[in-house]
Parts: sequence; C-alpha cells; structure tokens
Amino acid sequence: MAETLVSAEGIGKTYGTVVKTVALHEVSFELEAGEFASIIGQSGSGKSTMLNLIGLLDRPTTGRVVLDGHDTTAASRKQRAALRNDFIGFVFQFHYLLPEFSVLENVLMPGRISGAAGSELVARAEENLALLGLEGLEKKNANDLSGGQKQRVAIARALMNRPALVLADEPTGNLDTENTKAVYRLFRQINEELGTAFVIVTHDRGVAQQTDRILEISDGALLQDVRNEYLAPASR
Amino acid sequence: MLSLSIAARFLRKSPVQSILIAAGIAVGIGVQVFLGSLITSLQASLVNQTIGNSPQVVVLAEQDGQPIMYTSQLEQAMKAQSEITTVVPTRTYSAIFRSGSESAPLQLTGGALDQLDTIYDISGRLVAGKAALGSGEVIVGKEFADQFGLKPGDTASFVLPSGEPADLRISGVFDFGSAAANSATAFVGGDQAAEVLGYSADEYSAIDAQVADVFSSVQVADGLKAEPALDGLKVTEWQADNADLLSALQSQSSSSYMIQFFVLVAVALGIASTLAISAVQKTRQIGILKAMGMKDRQSGRIFLWQALILGVSGAAVGVAGGLALIALFTFLGRNSDSLFPITPQIGFVVISFVVGVLVAVASSLVPSRRTSKLDPIEVIQGG
Repeated sequence: MAETLVSAEGIGKTYGTVVKTVALHEVSFELEAGEFASIIGQSGSGKSTMLNLIGLLDRPTTGRVVLDGHDTTAASRKQRAALRNDFIGFVFQFHYLLPEFSVLENVLMPGRISGAAGSELVARAEENLALLGLEGLEKKNANDLSGGQKQRVAIARALMNRPALVLADEPTGNLDTENTKAVYRLFRQINEELGTAFVIVTHDRGVAQQTDRILEISDGALLQDVRNEYLAPASR
Repeated sequence: MLSLSIAARFLRKSPVQSILIAAGIAVGIGVQVFLGSLITSLQASLVNQTIGNSPQVVVLAEQDGQPIMYTSQLEQAMKAQSEITTVVPTRTYSAIFRSGSESAPLQLTGGALDQLDTIYDISGRLVAGKAALGSGEVIVGKEFADQFGLKPGDTASFVLPSGEPADLRISGVFDFGSAAANSATAFVGGDQAAEVLGYSADEYSAIDAQVADVFSSVQVADGLKAEPALDGLKVTEWQADNADLLSALQSQSSSSYMIQFFVLVAVALGIASTLAISAVQKTRQIGILKAMGMKDRQSGRIFLWQALILGVSGAAVGVAGGLALIALFTFLGRNSDSLFPITPQIGFVVISFVVGVLVAVASSLVPSRRTSKLDPIEVIQGG
C-alpha cells in the first residue's frame, strides 16, 4: 500500500467574524505519495481554499491537515514555513518570479531558503532548467522571458528542493493552448520520473481528465472523488 | 546570508530610491560632523582666547596685597596635582603711565621671561621689538603702544604705587588678540617688580598655574585647598570668575544638541517612510518567498539589512562630506583673523557615524516588523 502524503481530516474554512462566509465545509481525503490528482470546480467553489489549506499557506477553521505524518494543527508559523520548504513546491497562476533575480537565482531560491549552498545546489537548479527546456536562459532576468518560459521557470523553482508534493493553482491560466499542453506534459513527466505527487487546481474538465484522480468541489463541499482509471493512457 | 543578498538586490533594483535614502543619511550625518566639530572648535577657541594665555588657577595671600612665601613645600604641593602643567610665581603691581597730560593705569606682571612664556607666550605673540625683560625693561601690549604712539626703544614714564616716578624702556610689543588685555597688561622683570613691591627673593604676589583640561580647574583648586602647604592662602580658578562665559558655552552646547537631535529625527523619519514604501512595494516578493518557506525572522531581516547597508554607506559619505566641509571652511579662513580653525573631533565623528547607522536600523524596525508579520496567503489570494 502506498504511503499517505497528505491527510485532510474534516478541514473547513470560514472567513469573517461578524458576517461569516463558509468557503469550505468539512472535507476529508487522503493523498498518496506520487499521486497525480486534480481539484476541479467552478470559480469560487473553494478549490483554491482547499489547496491553500493542504499547502499550509492558510489554517483551517475546523479539522486538521497531516503532512507526511506531521500534524500541522498546532505547528508554529516557523514550523509551517519549514514544512512548506521541505515538502511542497508551489506553482501559481501568476508565476511570481522575483524580478530582482536571474532565472537561475529564482530557481535556486527554495534551496537557499533551506540554508543549502554550493555547487551541488547550482547543479540541481541547472538540471531542473534542462528538464524544462530552459538551457541557456540561466543568466537572463526573469522579466525578459515569455509567459510560457516564466511559468516553466516557476515549475523548475517548485521542484528545487525535490518536494514530495507540487501544488499547482490554475498553473496554465495565463498561457496559450500550446504552452498549456507543454506544461501538463512536463507535470506528468516529472511525476513519472521523480515520483513527485501533483495536485492541480483547475476549472477545466479537459485538464482534470488528464490526471489520475479528480476531486470535484462545489459550493465548498467535496462532490466526488474519483480515480480516473477508465481513461486509457494514450488519451492522457 | 540570504536576507543580506536579497536586501542588496532590492536596493540595486531601485537605485534612485536607494541613493536618495543614503543621501538623506549622508546630509544628516554630514551636518552632525560639521556642526559638532564647529561648535566644539568654536568653544575651544573662545575658551582659549579667554583663558588660554592666562593662569587658570591662582594661589594668593589671604589678604590682598600681602606677599606669599614660595617655599619648596608649596611648589611640590602644586606640582603634585597631576592636572597642573605649569607653575609660575609672579609679582604684580599697578602703576599709572603718564605721557604729557595723558595717563592710563597699567597692571605690570613681573617674572622670569622663560617662565612667563609658559603661560602668556609673550615671545610667541611679539609683534615688535624683542622679548627681553632685563633691568628697567618693559613689554607692553599693542593697543597700549598704539594709543600712546610708543615703539620699542622708547622710554615710558610711570607713577608707582608708592607715588614715586619710574622710567622703563620698552623692549617689545605683544598682541594677545584681545584689546582689553593689550591695553591693561604689561610685563617687567621679576627683580624690578620685587623692588617696587618691597618683596624679598622668595616673596611673590601670586602663584599662577595652568591645567591640562581647563574645565578641571575646580577640582584642582579644591585639591590645592586641601593641601597643608597652602594653609593661610586662598586659591581662585577661572570658572568662578567667568560664570557668564560658562553659561554662554552651555547654552551654545544645548542649542547645538537640539539642532543635531532634530536633524537626526528628520533623517530617521525620512528613512522610515521610504523603507515603509519599499516594504509595501516588495510585498509580493516577500509573500512568495514566505510561501516557499522563508521564515518570519529571515524576511524581517531583509529590511534590517537594507537599513544597515544604507546607514553604513550614507553615514560614511556623510562623515566624508562633513570632513570635506571642515577642510573647505579651514581653507577659506586660512588668511582670516576672524575665522577660527575647526578641528575634526575624531570621537564625535565616530559617534556620529555610529548614531547614523543606529538611526537607520531603528528606522527599519517598523517595515521590518510589518514584513515579518506578512502572511503569504495575503499575497497569493491577492493575485
């Protein structure tokens, strides 16, 4: 049986104190190491909220998130930051590259945050860039790249610390069809080659169907959680 | 040091903003260095002009006009005070100068020239004639000589305290830089004064002393009063006789401190507001760095480092600018009698530099705290 990477136990999120808005009802699911899953739902359905909760960017109002055996309920900001750095890579709709740094420096950043340094770190960053077809762009400023290139740099950065889990929130929302296809091919390739688990938030059912598991959210509730096994590998 | 390298990169990415903050610090610290050195030098110059060439501690007989026996015990007791640098026994009397129908009172101080020089620097301040206090010779002040048309070699007629007349030959003319001192003071040989006063060889009218730090005169005087060798004698010091000057110096220092304080407050507010704006501008970057796992303290340190870099570079430029201003002031005033030399106060320069850096760092506390408290979700949700 595969190892459980994330366990969401009745996690819910309510915003506001006077006027309360429930963004996510008590949702439970488990994610295994190396899974390739998607969260699908309409805008405002609570899918990004769920991603932020399991990514330890936000705290649930109810329930708890257990990440790789660590119960994060009582974890301090410092401990949560360390867990994010160790276990999770983020890819957002906006690339969020640091315009003050070069492509290589942006990719190196999670490694440097963890306190690592040296040629081994640079070699891994260059390996990531090569994996994403970005050789030769190392010294360029992040601002000088095309939209597709920026998002690939963001993916290379997310993989820097070889995280067990990559959380991607509408990662192709700002890309054209060609780049969108390329990004999902890369996600699948990384998942297969490095064994990295992926959770991709999307509102595009076509994208979701290319993943192995779909968690469908509607009005803050988990509508269905289906393994996408009926899809033939060729159609992925 | 990731925080340091991010801080440096943030500064390089906004060069105009960075240069403006550093320039603000530089101007503040430059003003500090210049103003501080100016005030200190001005005060030193004032003190020097007022009491630099006069005794700062004087031992006198309890009753005016009585002689003091300058014994070896008295000499040793005075020289035992570590602050005392010079001890000169003098004999002073008043006489009236007469020239035709004109007359003027003059205080004549008698002593050995080489000893008098250690306090009054007569030889160094001679503007005419030669420095000599032989028998029947007198050295008079510039204003006195000008007023009565006297020059070296002339004979000046005096009426002594006893009412007897006396003629003295002018050997030289000095300029103490003070019209009052130049008009009212003159110097004669020690033996001539002893003869006029009717003193024996070891009798003097006062024992003059100078101290290393002029403001230590009160302690020195107190120390002397406690000496058994000075029983029956009185000790005066310059501060008791110059309360107005001291109060003026103190007021000057207070106003200088006020100006410096408000310059620093203005600099601190300038840095704080610019760094606060910078912190807002970099919210997105800080948010994503935190999402990637940067810890609160690590992110807070980014703005502390920025402040430290700006503080050190700004304060260094400020110190250089302040010293350059001092050099310019000294250069422009090299041929002027009214300007005094400004001596850069090394201690003050170091303090100004450290204060500049500390003010910059203190100004970064608010943006630093704000950055430290930033939640990455605020940035991620904001898009």
